[in-house]
Amino acid sequence: MISKQKITSFDALIIGGGIAGGEAALNIANTGYKVLLIEKDLSIGGKMILLSKVFPTLDCAACITTPKVSEISRHPNITLFTSCEVSKINKIDENNFEATIIKKPRYVVIEDCTACQLCEQACPVSVPDEYQFNLVGRKAAFIPFSIASPKAAAIDIENCILCGACEKVCPTNCIDFTQDTEEYQVHINTVILATGFKLFDPLLMPRYGYGLYKNVITSMQMERELAPTRPFNTILRPSDGKVPDKIAYVLCTGSRDASIGNPICSQICCMYSIKQSQLLMGALPMADVTIYYINIRSFGKGFEEFYQQAKGMGVNFVKGKIGKISEKENGNLILRYEDINENRVKEAEHDMVVLSVGVLPNQDATKLFKTDELKLDPYKFIHQVDSLLSPAKTSIDGVFVAGTASGPMDIPDSILFAGSASSEAISYLIQHK
Amino acid sequence: MEIEKGKTAKYLKEKREVAQEVKDKQKEFLKIKKAILDALKEDALTIDQLTQKLNMAKHEVVFYLMSLVKYGFVQTGDVDDMDEYFSYKLKNNG
Repeated sequence: MISKQKITSFDALIIGGGIAGGEAALNIANTGYKVLLIEKDLSIGGKMILLSKVFPTLDCAACITTPKVSEISRHPNITLFTSCEVSKINKIDENNFEATIIKKPRYVVIEDCTACQLCEQACPVSVPDEYQFNLVGRKAAFIPFSIASPKAAAIDIENCILCGACEKVCPTNCIDFTQDTEEYQVHINTVILATGFKLFDPLLMPRYGYGLYKNVITSMQMERELAPTRPFNTILRPSDGKVPDKIAYVLCTGSRDASIGNPICSQICCMYSIKQSQLLMGALPMADVTIYYINIRSFGKGFEEFYQQAKGMGVNFVKGKIGKISEKENGNLILRYEDINENRVKEAEHDMVVLSVGVLPNQDATKLFKTDELKLDPYKFIHQVDSLLSPAKTSIDGVFVAGTASGPMDIPDSILFAGSASSEAISYLIQHK
Repeated sequence: MEIEKGKTAKYLKEKREVAQEVKDKQKEFLKIKKAILDALKEDALTIDQLTQKLNMAKHEVVFYLMSLVKYGFVQTGDVDDMDEYFSYKLKNNG
Protein backbone atom coordinates (compact mmCIF):
# COMPACT_ATOMS: atom_id res chain seq x y z
CA MET A 1 0.00 0.00 0.00
CA ILE A 2 1.34 3.45 -0.89
CA SER A 3 0.98 5.77 2.05
CA LYS A 4 1.82 9.32 1.15
CA GLN A 5 2.05 11.78 -1.71
CA LYS A 6 4.84 14.28 -1.28
CA ILE A 7 5.67 17.07 -3.68
CA THR A 8 9.10 18.58 -3.86
CA SER A 9 11.47 20.11 -6.42
CA PHE A 10 15.16 19.86 -7.38
CA ASP A 11 17.39 21.18 -10.15
CA ALA A 12 18.64 17.75 -11.22
CA LEU A 13 17.45 14.20 -10.85
CA ILE A 14 20.12 11.51 -11.12
CA ILE A 15 18.94 7.96 -11.47
CA GLY A 16 21.54 5.46 -10.25
CA GLY A 17 23.92 5.81 -7.31
CA GLY A 18 26.85 3.90 -8.76
CA ILE A 19 30.22 5.47 -9.45
CA ALA A 20 28.94 7.40 -12.53
CA GLY A 21 25.76 8.68 -10.89
CA GLY A 22 27.63 9.61 -7.72
CA GLU A 23 30.31 11.49 -9.63
CA ALA A 24 27.72 13.39 -11.67
CA ALA A 25 25.78 14.22 -8.48
CA LEU A 26 28.89 15.64 -6.80
CA ASN A 27 29.84 17.71 -9.85
CA ILE A 28 26.39 19.28 -10.12
CA ALA A 29 25.99 19.76 -6.36
CA ASN A 30 29.41 21.43 -6.12
CA THR A 31 28.23 24.14 -8.51
CA GLY A 32 25.38 24.99 -6.17
CA TYR A 33 22.48 23.11 -7.75
CA LYS A 34 20.15 20.93 -5.73
CA VAL A 35 20.39 17.28 -6.71
CA LEU A 36 18.13 14.34 -5.99
CA LEU A 37 20.07 11.07 -6.28
CA ILE A 38 17.94 7.96 -6.58
CA GLU A 39 19.33 4.49 -5.84
CA LYS A 40 17.23 1.33 -6.03
CA ASP A 41 19.53 -0.61 -3.71
CA LEU A 42 20.04 -0.17 0.05
CA SER A 43 23.45 1.47 -0.47
CA ILE A 44 25.04 3.70 -3.05
CA GLY A 45 28.34 2.69 -4.66
CA GLY A 46 26.97 0.40 -7.36
CA LYS A 47 29.06 -2.52 -8.48
CA MET A 48 32.38 -0.77 -7.85
CA ILE A 49 31.95 -0.73 -4.07
CA LEU A 50 31.82 -4.54 -4.11
CA LEU A 51 35.10 -4.97 -6.02
CA SER A 52 38.39 -6.02 -4.45
CA LYS A 53 40.83 -3.88 -6.42
CA VAL A 54 40.80 -1.96 -9.70
CA PHE A 55 42.90 -2.48 -12.82
CA PRO A 56 45.55 -1.66 -13.93
CA THR A 57 46.82 0.06 -10.78
CA LEU A 58 45.61 -2.56 -8.28
CA ASP A 59 44.35 0.23 -6.05
CA CYS A 60 41.87 -0.83 -3.39
CA ALA A 61 38.36 -0.27 -4.81
CA ALA A 62 36.85 0.39 -1.39
CA CYS A 63 39.53 3.00 -0.62
CA ILE A 64 38.50 4.94 -3.73
CA THR A 65 34.76 4.45 -3.36
CA THR A 66 34.33 5.01 0.37
CA PRO A 67 35.37 8.70 0.49
CA LYS A 68 33.22 9.33 -2.60
CA VAL A 69 30.06 7.76 -1.17
CA SER A 70 30.70 9.44 2.16
CA GLU A 71 30.95 12.84 0.43
CA ILE A 72 27.75 12.14 -1.50
CA SER A 73 25.90 11.14 1.68
CA ARG A 74 26.77 14.31 3.58
CA HIS A 75 26.76 16.88 0.74
CA PRO A 76 24.32 19.69 1.63
CA ASN A 77 23.11 19.95 -1.99
CA ILE A 78 22.48 16.25 -2.48
CA THR A 79 19.33 14.53 -1.27
CA LEU A 80 19.89 10.80 -1.32
CA PHE A 81 17.02 8.34 -1.66
CA THR A 82 17.98 4.68 -1.33
CA SER A 83 15.56 1.75 -1.80
CA CYS A 84 13.78 3.93 -4.34
CA GLU A 85 12.70 3.57 -7.91
CA VAL A 86 11.49 6.12 -10.40
CA SER A 87 8.23 4.82 -11.82
CA LYS A 88 7.65 7.49 -14.49
CA ILE A 89 8.95 10.78 -15.83
CA ASN A 90 6.82 13.22 -17.79
CA LYS A 91 8.34 16.12 -19.68
CA ILE A 92 5.89 18.95 -19.07
CA ASP A 93 7.76 21.47 -21.23
CA GLU A 94 11.30 22.76 -21.81
CA ASN A 95 13.39 22.47 -18.61
CA ASN A 96 10.45 21.04 -16.68
CA PHE A 97 10.09 17.38 -15.81
CA GLU A 98 7.82 15.67 -13.32
CA ALA A 99 8.97 12.37 -11.85
CA THR A 100 7.11 9.88 -9.69
CA ILE A 101 9.33 8.11 -7.19
CA ILE A 102 8.42 5.08 -5.14
CA LYS A 103 10.32 4.71 -1.87
CA LYS A 104 10.21 1.21 -0.44
CA PRO A 105 10.22 0.83 3.35
CA ARG A 106 13.55 -0.08 4.95
CA TYR A 107 11.82 -0.63 8.32
CA VAL A 108 14.71 1.23 9.95
CA VAL A 109 14.96 4.96 10.62
CA ILE A 110 18.34 5.60 8.97
CA GLU A 111 19.09 8.75 10.97
CA ASP A 112 18.64 6.90 14.30
CA CYS A 113 20.59 3.73 13.41
CA THR A 114 24.11 3.57 14.86
CA ALA A 115 25.06 0.45 12.85
CA CYS A 116 25.79 -1.38 16.11
CA GLN A 117 24.70 -4.68 14.47
CA LEU A 118 22.92 -5.88 17.62
CA CYS A 119 19.81 -6.47 15.49
CA GLU A 120 21.88 -8.67 13.18
CA GLN A 121 23.13 -10.74 16.09
CA ALA A 122 19.63 -11.15 17.50
CA CYS A 123 17.93 -12.05 14.21
CA PRO A 124 17.30 -15.82 14.03
CA VAL A 125 16.87 -15.92 10.25
CA SER A 126 19.66 -16.72 7.80
CA VAL A 127 19.29 -16.38 4.03
CA PRO A 128 21.81 -16.23 1.17
CA ASP A 129 23.69 -12.92 1.13
CA GLU A 130 23.19 -11.26 -2.25
CA TYR A 131 26.05 -8.84 -1.54
CA GLN A 132 28.39 -11.86 -1.27
CA PHE A 133 26.76 -13.37 -4.37
CA ASN A 134 25.17 -16.15 -2.32
CA LEU A 135 28.46 -17.67 -1.16
CA VAL A 136 27.50 -17.19 2.48
CA GLY A 137 24.43 -16.27 4.54
CA ARG A 138 23.15 -13.04 6.03
CA LYS A 139 20.44 -12.21 8.55
CA ALA A 140 16.99 -10.80 7.76
CA ALA A 141 17.92 -7.78 9.90
CA PHE A 142 21.20 -6.75 8.34
CA ILE A 143 23.64 -4.08 7.25
CA PRO A 144 24.15 -4.73 3.53
CA PHE A 145 27.98 -4.69 3.75
CA SER A 146 30.60 -3.11 5.97
CA ILE A 147 31.23 -0.03 3.81
CA ALA A 148 27.59 0.50 2.82
CA SER A 149 26.39 4.08 2.61
CA PRO A 150 24.17 4.92 4.36
CA LYS A 151 25.60 2.55 6.94
CA ALA A 152 22.36 1.55 8.54
CA ALA A 153 20.48 -1.67 9.08
CA ALA A 154 17.59 -2.80 6.92
CA ILE A 155 14.94 -5.44 7.33
CA ASP A 156 14.48 -7.99 4.55
CA ILE A 157 10.74 -8.16 5.03
CA GLU A 158 10.27 -11.04 2.57
CA ASN A 159 12.36 -13.29 4.83
CA CYS A 160 11.52 -11.74 8.21
CA ILE A 161 9.47 -13.87 10.60
CA LEU A 162 8.35 -10.76 12.52
CA CYS A 163 9.60 -12.19 15.82
CA GLY A 164 10.57 -8.72 17.06
CA ALA A 165 13.99 -9.90 18.35
CA CYS A 166 15.72 -7.05 16.49
CA GLU A 167 13.50 -4.44 18.11
CA LYS A 168 14.10 -5.81 21.58
CA VAL A 169 17.87 -5.32 21.35
CA CYS A 170 17.94 -2.06 19.38
CA PRO A 171 19.36 0.60 21.74
CA THR A 172 17.91 3.50 19.75
CA ASN A 173 14.50 2.03 18.87
CA CYS A 174 15.22 2.77 15.22
CA ILE A 175 13.47 -0.31 13.86
CA ASP A 176 10.01 0.63 12.69
CA PHE A 177 7.71 -1.99 11.17
CA THR A 178 5.01 0.63 10.64
CA GLN A 179 6.92 2.12 7.70
CA ASP A 180 5.09 1.91 4.41
CA THR A 181 5.79 2.52 0.74
CA GLU A 182 5.89 6.24 0.00
CA GLU A 183 5.28 8.03 -3.26
CA TYR A 184 6.92 11.32 -4.18
CA GLN A 185 6.06 13.72 -6.99
CA VAL A 186 9.21 15.63 -7.87
CA HIS A 187 9.66 18.59 -10.21
CA ILE A 188 13.09 18.76 -11.81
CA ASN A 189 14.82 20.73 -14.53
CA THR A 190 17.18 18.09 -15.88
CA VAL A 191 17.71 14.33 -15.64
CA ILE A 192 20.86 12.18 -15.75
CA LEU A 193 20.47 8.48 -16.38
CA ALA A 194 23.25 6.53 -14.68
CA THR A 195 21.45 3.22 -14.49
CA GLY A 196 24.57 1.14 -15.13
CA PHE A 197 24.67 -2.32 -16.60
CA LYS A 198 23.58 -5.85 -15.85
CA LEU A 199 25.90 -8.81 -15.68
CA PHE A 200 25.30 -11.74 -17.99
CA ASP A 201 23.54 -14.63 -16.27
CA PRO A 202 25.65 -17.74 -16.98
CA LEU A 203 22.64 -19.98 -16.33
CA LEU A 204 21.78 -19.06 -19.92
CA MET A 205 24.82 -21.09 -21.05
CA PRO A 206 24.10 -24.53 -19.56
CA ARG A 207 27.15 -26.06 -21.29
CA TYR A 208 29.36 -24.27 -18.75
CA GLY A 209 27.56 -25.93 -15.85
CA TYR A 210 27.07 -22.83 -13.71
CA GLY A 211 24.56 -23.56 -10.96
CA LEU A 212 25.01 -27.30 -11.49
CA TYR A 213 28.74 -27.60 -10.75
CA LYS A 214 29.50 -25.76 -7.51
CA ASN A 215 33.10 -25.01 -8.47
CA VAL A 216 32.05 -23.04 -11.52
CA ILE A 217 31.66 -19.51 -10.21
CA THR A 218 31.27 -16.06 -11.75
CA SER A 219 33.89 -13.34 -11.80
CA MET A 220 31.85 -11.31 -9.27
CA GLN A 221 31.88 -14.28 -6.89
CA MET A 222 35.67 -14.48 -7.28
CA GLU A 223 35.84 -10.70 -6.79
CA ARG A 224 34.16 -11.19 -3.41
CA GLU A 225 36.48 -14.08 -2.51
CA LEU A 226 39.42 -11.75 -3.19
CA ALA A 227 38.04 -8.72 -1.33
CA PRO A 228 39.14 -7.86 2.24
CA THR A 229 35.50 -8.28 3.34
CA ARG A 230 35.35 -11.70 1.72
CA PRO A 231 32.90 -14.46 2.59
CA PHE A 232 35.57 -17.07 3.46
CA ASN A 233 38.87 -16.84 5.32
CA THR A 234 40.72 -17.35 2.02
CA ILE A 235 39.96 -18.47 -1.54
CA LEU A 236 37.95 -21.67 -1.24
CA ARG A 237 35.97 -23.93 -3.51
CA PRO A 238 32.23 -23.63 -2.74
CA SER A 239 31.77 -27.38 -3.28
CA ASP A 240 33.98 -28.65 -0.46
CA GLY A 241 35.99 -25.79 1.07
CA LYS A 242 39.23 -26.88 -0.59
CA VAL A 243 41.89 -24.26 -1.31
CA PRO A 244 42.08 -24.44 -5.13
CA ASP A 245 45.40 -24.83 -6.87
CA LYS A 246 44.47 -24.97 -10.54
CA ILE A 247 42.09 -22.19 -11.51
CA ALA A 248 40.76 -21.45 -15.00
CA TYR A 249 39.16 -18.29 -16.37
CA VAL A 250 36.72 -18.51 -19.26
CA LEU A 251 36.71 -15.16 -21.02
CA CYS A 252 33.86 -13.83 -23.16
CA THR A 253 31.17 -15.68 -21.18
CA GLY A 254 28.11 -13.91 -22.54
CA SER A 255 30.03 -11.44 -24.71
CA ARG A 256 31.11 -11.56 -28.35
CA ASP A 257 28.61 -14.34 -28.79
CA ALA A 258 25.73 -13.78 -31.17
CA SER A 259 24.23 -17.15 -30.19
CA ILE A 260 23.22 -15.74 -26.80
CA GLY A 261 22.22 -12.35 -28.22
CA ASN A 262 25.26 -10.29 -27.20
CA PRO A 263 27.70 -9.95 -30.11
CA ILE A 264 29.71 -7.05 -28.67
CA CYS A 265 32.83 -6.98 -26.50
CA SER A 266 32.22 -6.10 -22.84
CA GLN A 267 35.51 -4.17 -22.72
CA ILE A 268 36.28 -5.01 -19.07
CA CYS A 269 36.39 -8.83 -18.85
CA CYS A 270 39.95 -9.30 -20.18
CA MET A 271 41.37 -6.78 -17.77
CA TYR A 272 39.38 -7.75 -14.65
CA SER A 273 40.31 -11.39 -15.28
CA ILE A 274 43.99 -10.44 -15.58
CA LYS A 275 43.61 -8.38 -12.39
CA GLN A 276 42.02 -11.31 -10.53
CA SER A 277 44.70 -13.68 -11.83
CA GLN A 278 47.40 -11.44 -10.36
CA LEU A 279 45.55 -11.18 -7.05
CA LEU A 280 45.16 -14.96 -6.99
CA MET A 281 48.88 -15.43 -7.57
CA GLY A 282 49.40 -13.21 -4.54
CA ALA A 283 46.81 -14.94 -2.34
CA LEU A 284 47.71 -18.48 -3.44
CA PRO A 285 51.37 -18.42 -4.51
CA MET A 286 51.41 -22.13 -5.40
CA ALA A 287 48.31 -21.95 -7.61
CA ASP A 288 48.30 -22.31 -11.40
CA VAL A 289 46.04 -19.81 -13.13
CA THR A 290 45.05 -20.28 -16.77
CA ILE A 291 43.09 -17.77 -18.82
CA TYR A 292 41.25 -19.13 -21.86
CA TYR A 293 40.64 -16.27 -24.31
CA ILE A 294 39.66 -15.46 -27.88
CA ASN A 295 41.66 -12.21 -28.04
CA ILE A 296 43.17 -10.20 -25.20
CA ARG A 297 41.93 -6.65 -25.59
CA SER A 298 44.35 -4.53 -23.57
CA PHE A 299 43.50 -1.21 -25.17
CA GLY A 300 43.64 1.30 -22.31
CA LYS A 301 46.39 3.23 -20.59
CA GLY A 302 48.71 0.80 -18.85
CA PHE A 303 46.62 -2.23 -19.88
CA GLU A 304 49.19 -3.91 -22.12
CA GLU A 305 51.87 -3.54 -19.44
CA PHE A 306 49.40 -5.03 -16.94
CA TYR A 307 48.83 -8.00 -19.27
CA GLN A 308 52.58 -8.50 -19.72
CA GLN A 309 52.99 -8.28 -15.92
CA ALA A 310 50.49 -11.14 -15.48
CA LYS A 311 52.41 -13.23 -18.00
CA GLY A 312 55.62 -12.45 -16.15
CA MET A 313 54.03 -13.59 -12.90
CA GLY A 314 53.31 -16.96 -14.47
CA VAL A 315 49.66 -16.70 -15.51
CA ASN A 316 49.10 -19.13 -18.36
CA PHE A 317 47.25 -17.67 -21.38
CA VAL A 318 45.62 -20.14 -23.78
CA LYS A 319 44.01 -18.91 -26.98
CA GLY A 320 41.01 -21.17 -27.00
CA LYS A 321 37.25 -21.18 -26.90
CA ILE A 322 35.64 -23.41 -24.29
CA GLY A 323 33.01 -25.72 -25.75
CA LYS A 324 31.90 -27.56 -22.65
CA ILE A 325 32.66 -28.01 -18.98
CA SER A 326 31.99 -31.30 -17.20
CA GLU A 327 32.53 -32.33 -13.59
CA LYS A 328 34.52 -35.20 -12.12
CA GLU A 329 33.47 -37.02 -8.96
CA ASN A 330 35.98 -35.11 -6.84
CA GLY A 331 34.53 -31.75 -7.96
CA ASN A 332 37.33 -31.04 -10.43
CA LEU A 333 36.26 -29.73 -13.82
CA ILE A 334 37.18 -30.86 -17.32
CA LEU A 335 37.31 -28.06 -19.85
CA ARG A 336 36.93 -29.13 -23.46
CA TYR A 337 38.24 -26.42 -25.73
CA GLU A 338 39.46 -25.58 -29.18
CA ASP A 339 43.13 -24.62 -29.08
CA ILE A 340 43.07 -21.90 -31.73
CA ASN A 341 46.86 -21.78 -32.21
CA GLU A 342 47.23 -25.56 -32.64
CA ASN A 343 43.87 -25.90 -34.40
CA ARG A 344 42.72 -28.93 -32.42
CA VAL A 345 40.33 -29.86 -29.64
CA LYS A 346 41.89 -30.43 -26.22
CA GLU A 347 40.83 -31.11 -22.66
CA ALA A 348 42.25 -29.72 -19.43
CA GLU A 349 41.47 -30.39 -15.77
CA HIS A 350 41.07 -27.56 -13.26
CA ASP A 351 39.73 -27.56 -9.72
CA MET A 352 37.88 -24.27 -10.05
CA VAL A 353 36.51 -22.33 -13.03
CA VAL A 354 35.70 -18.63 -13.08
CA LEU A 355 33.32 -17.43 -15.79
CA SER A 356 34.28 -13.90 -16.86
CA VAL A 357 30.73 -12.74 -17.40
CA GLY A 358 29.99 -9.91 -19.79
CA VAL A 359 28.16 -6.61 -19.63
CA LEU A 360 24.53 -6.36 -20.71
CA PRO A 361 22.35 -3.27 -21.07
CA ASN A 362 20.09 -2.25 -18.22
CA GLN A 363 16.88 -1.36 -20.00
CA ASP A 364 15.02 -0.16 -16.89
CA ALA A 365 15.25 3.50 -17.94
CA THR A 366 13.46 3.01 -21.25
CA LYS A 367 10.04 2.54 -19.72
CA LEU A 368 10.27 5.63 -17.49
CA PHE A 369 9.49 8.28 -20.08
CA LYS A 370 5.81 8.54 -20.86
CA THR A 371 5.75 11.68 -23.00
CA ASP A 372 8.98 11.28 -25.01
CA GLU A 373 10.83 8.34 -26.46
CA LEU A 374 14.22 7.45 -25.00
CA LYS A 375 16.00 5.88 -27.96
CA LEU A 376 18.28 2.88 -27.60
CA ASP A 377 21.20 1.82 -29.78
CA PRO A 378 21.16 -1.52 -31.66
CA TYR A 379 22.53 -3.28 -28.56
CA LYS A 380 19.83 -1.79 -26.27
CA PHE A 381 22.11 0.65 -24.46
CA ILE A 382 20.92 4.27 -24.27
CA HIS A 383 21.50 5.93 -27.64
CA GLN A 384 23.97 8.82 -27.74
CA VAL A 385 22.57 11.18 -30.37
CA ASP A 386 25.90 12.96 -30.85
CA SER A 387 28.56 10.58 -29.59
CA LEU A 388 31.50 12.63 -30.89
CA LEU A 389 30.65 16.20 -29.91
CA SER A 390 28.11 15.78 -27.12
CA PRO A 391 28.36 12.19 -25.87
CA ALA A 392 26.00 12.57 -22.90
CA LYS A 393 23.03 13.80 -24.97
CA THR A 394 20.11 11.41 -25.38
CA SER A 395 17.12 11.54 -27.69
CA ILE A 396 15.24 13.64 -25.09
CA ASP A 397 16.37 17.24 -24.69
CA GLY A 398 17.39 17.83 -21.07
CA VAL A 399 18.00 14.14 -20.37
CA PHE A 400 21.64 13.01 -20.29
CA VAL A 401 23.36 9.67 -19.89
CA ALA A 402 26.40 8.81 -17.77
CA GLY A 403 28.56 5.72 -17.43
CA THR A 404 27.73 2.22 -18.60
CA ALA A 405 24.07 3.02 -19.27
CA SER A 406 25.31 4.04 -22.75
CA GLY A 407 27.61 1.05 -23.34
CA PRO A 408 30.30 -1.12 -21.77
CA MET A 409 33.21 0.83 -20.29
CA ASP A 410 35.67 0.65 -17.41
CA ILE A 411 35.68 2.70 -14.20
CA PRO A 412 37.91 5.60 -15.38
CA ASP A 413 35.80 5.99 -18.53
CA SER A 414 32.59 5.88 -16.44
CA ILE A 415 33.89 8.67 -14.23
CA LEU A 416 35.01 10.67 -17.27
CA PHE A 417 31.61 10.15 -18.87
CA ALA A 418 29.91 11.28 -15.65
CA GLY A 419 31.95 14.47 -15.87
CA SER A 420 30.70 15.00 -19.40
CA ALA A 421 27.07 14.34 -18.40
CA SER A 422 27.25 16.68 -15.42
CA SER A 423 28.87 19.45 -17.54
CA GLU A 424 26.12 19.13 -20.13
CA ALA A 425 23.43 19.11 -17.45
CA ILE A 426 24.89 22.24 -15.82
CA SER A 427 25.10 23.93 -19.21
CA TYR A 428 21.45 22.98 -19.84
CA LEU A 429 20.42 24.39 -16.46
CA ILE A 430 22.26 27.68 -17.13
CA GLN A 431 20.79 28.02 -20.62
CA HIS A 432 17.23 27.43 -19.50
CA LYS A 433 17.10 29.51 -16.31
CA MET B 1 -4.23 0.09 17.30
CA GLU B 2 -1.79 2.00 19.47
CA ILE B 3 1.79 1.54 18.34
CA GLU B 4 4.53 1.47 20.94
CA LYS B 5 8.04 2.38 19.78
CA GLY B 6 10.31 -0.67 19.96
CA LYS B 7 7.36 -3.08 19.69
CA THR B 8 6.21 -2.42 16.14
CA ALA B 9 6.64 -5.97 14.81
CA LYS B 10 3.28 -6.81 16.41
CA TYR B 11 1.68 -4.12 14.24
CA LEU B 12 2.95 -5.63 10.99
CA LYS B 13 2.18 -9.16 12.17
CA GLU B 14 -1.49 -8.22 12.28
CA LYS B 15 -1.35 -6.85 8.75
CA ARG B 16 0.90 -9.38 7.08
CA GLU B 17 1.18 -13.14 7.37
CA VAL B 18 4.65 -14.70 7.37
CA ALA B 19 4.88 -17.26 4.56
CA GLN B 20 5.12 -20.91 5.65
CA GLU B 21 8.18 -21.32 3.42
CA VAL B 22 9.99 -18.56 5.35
CA LYS B 23 9.12 -20.21 8.69
CA ASP B 24 10.30 -23.59 7.39
CA LYS B 25 13.60 -22.16 6.18
CA GLN B 26 14.23 -20.52 9.54
CA LYS B 27 13.55 -23.81 11.35
CA GLU B 28 15.88 -25.62 8.95
CA PHE B 29 18.65 -23.08 9.60
CA LEU B 30 18.28 -23.45 13.36
CA LYS B 31 18.39 -27.25 13.03
CA ILE B 32 21.54 -27.19 10.88
CA LYS B 33 23.16 -24.58 13.11
CA LYS B 34 22.58 -26.76 16.17
CA ALA B 35 23.87 -29.85 14.38
CA ILE B 36 27.08 -28.11 13.26
CA LEU B 37 27.73 -26.52 16.65
CA ASP B 38 27.09 -29.87 18.42
CA ALA B 39 29.44 -31.65 16.01
CA LEU B 40 32.21 -29.15 16.71
CA LYS B 41 31.81 -29.36 20.51
CA GLU B 42 34.32 -32.18 20.92
CA ASP B 43 36.97 -31.35 18.39
CA ALA B 44 37.89 -29.16 15.43
CA LEU B 45 36.70 -30.76 12.18
CA THR B 46 37.28 -30.32 8.46
CA ILE B 47 34.37 -29.88 6.05
CA ASP B 48 34.83 -33.47 4.91
CA GLN B 49 34.61 -34.75 8.50
CA LEU B 50 31.57 -32.57 9.20
CA THR B 51 29.88 -33.85 6.04
CA GLN B 52 30.30 -37.43 7.17
CA LYS B 53 29.10 -36.66 10.68
CA LEU B 54 26.05 -34.66 9.61
CA ASN B 55 25.16 -36.66 6.51
CA MET B 56 24.73 -33.47 4.49
CA ALA B 57 25.91 -32.42 1.04
CA LYS B 58 29.41 -30.90 1.16
CA HIS B 59 28.45 -27.64 -0.53
CA GLU B 60 25.65 -27.16 2.01
CA VAL B 61 28.08 -27.71 4.87
CA VAL B 62 30.40 -25.11 3.30
CA PHE B 63 27.55 -22.58 3.04
CA TYR B 64 26.19 -23.05 6.56
CA LEU B 65 29.59 -23.39 8.19
CA MET B 66 30.88 -20.20 6.56
CA SER B 67 27.68 -18.43 7.62
CA LEU B 68 28.33 -19.52 11.20
CA VAL B 69 31.91 -18.21 10.90
CA LYS B 70 30.45 -14.89 9.74
CA TYR B 71 27.92 -14.83 12.60
CA GLY B 72 30.70 -15.40 15.11
CA PHE B 73 29.89 -18.95 16.31
CA VAL B 74 32.74 -20.77 14.58
CA GLN B 75 36.34 -19.89 13.76
CA THR B 76 38.84 -21.19 11.27
CA GLY B 77 41.51 -23.51 12.64
CA ASP B 78 44.63 -24.95 11.07
CA VAL B 79 45.12 -26.03 7.49
CA ASP B 80 46.17 -29.63 6.72
CA ASP B 81 49.69 -30.69 5.67
CA MET B 82 48.79 -30.39 1.97
CA ASP B 83 47.54 -26.80 2.48
CA GLU B 84 44.18 -27.85 1.07
CA TYR B 85 41.57 -28.15 3.80
CA PHE B 86 41.08 -26.04 6.91
CA SER B 87 39.63 -27.33 10.14
CA TYR B 88 36.93 -25.36 11.95
CA LYS B 89 36.28 -25.05 15.68
CA LEU B 90 33.82 -23.38 18.01
CA LYS B 91 34.62 -19.78 18.74
CA ASN B 92 35.49 -19.08 22.30
CA ASN B 93 33.14 -16.21 23.08
CA GLY B 94 33.93 -16.48 26.73
